[in-house]
Amino acid sequence: MKATVLLSLIVLFGSSVDMPSDVVRALGAESSTPAADMDAFQAYFHGRFPNVKTADFANGPYAVDADMRKQWEEIMQFPPYDFAIDEGKTAFETPFTNGKTYADCFDNRGIGVRQNFPYFDTKSGEVVTLDLAINRCRIANGEKPLPYQVGMMASLTAYMAQTSNGKPFDIKIPDDPRAITAYEDGKKYFYTRRGQLGFSCSSCHVGASGHRLRGDILAPALGILASFPIYRSDWGSMGTIDRRFTSCSSQMRSQPLPPQDVSYRNLEYFLSFMSNGVPIAGPGTRP
Amino acid sequence: MRILSAFTLLLMSCCATHAATQQEAEAALAAARQKEAEAGKLGDRWLPAEAMLKAAQKALEDQDFDHALAAAAEAQALTERAIAQSKEQETAWHDAVIR
Repeated sequence: MKATVLLSLIVLFGSSVDMPSDVVRALGAESSTPAADMDAFQAYFHGRFPNVKTADFANGPYAVDADMRKQWEEIMQFPPYDFAIDEGKTAFETPFTNGKTYADCFDNRGIGVRQNFPYFDTKSGEVVTLDLAINRCRIANGEKPLPYQVGMMASLTAYMAQTSNGKPFDIKIPDDPRAITAYEDGKKYFYTRRGQLGFSCSSCHVGASGHRLRGDILAPALGILASFPIYRSDWGSMGTIDRRFTSCSSQMRSQPLPPQDVSYRNLEYFLSFMSNGVPIAGPGTRP
Repeated sequence: MRILSAFTLLLMSCCATHAATQQEAEAALAAARQKEAEAGKLGDRWLPAEAMLKAAQKALEDQDFDHALAAAAEAQALTERAIAQSKEQETAWHDAVIR
């Protein structure tokens, strides 16, 4: 009712009405577009870290901390994720029981396509991540879906990411109100505080990025998903984006959502769109 | 002396700690669960609240109604704070957006 009255006033008095920000919020009207959001987002991080080139944001904390970068360069002499790439490649090329392979489910037979995920599927009206597409491929070919956080899913996405190395994120938001809604939902999730600690994703990865949180250097949100899946020393194993999202939620003392929940997929959509232009550098390694 | 003893007895009975009944503990747990479901709908379930609900359920099964009541009350307090945070964030998140 309140919103209707306010809208009527705007219609009556035209755009000359200078709306206070709380009125804008009450109407749910953000003045920005996804493209404007992306420009502001990227400008913020380039301003915060003026010596970091766009491509280097894919390397997270190693792009913004010299000591960590030295350690990382030594680790990279024997990358801990190599085994996952090999395992993923073998699985990717091994035919399903029906004789088809993963290649039959993807554009360009699944090679060099990571930078296009997630995408908004205008047929189903939802965000499709690479992990979801892999499991849908399996189901379509009579195989059981894989667990989303660890194991073979991490290996398959590691191999597929590796075939996209150097290709910049190229996430599109189609001219479809459902796509905008998904994008806005992901944006809201990113900036909303939750959990007993009252942290949002942005609390750590925007204003505090580059600073220490106990022993960790907080990665900038720009390019933060470009190196996934990752071998994380803290985990002692590979993990997918779902594993990272759920562990972030737990660290905020918030009940994590199920892997591939719509909210997590929309969050991935928002973050990947914000990182358009940052090249894929996965799989990666993190402390 | 008789009056003093009667007064002492009366004082003791007045000040004795009230032991929770099963009915009270069950009601407190149900109320906390209702709040927790509300927090869930708002997308902000807190892990400590979940842990307190489990502790309350276990204490109830162990017939430890005092602990069940206390844990349910703690869970309810936590979920009320979660709900308040969610409602505040419904608009406050806009202030954090990079522009």
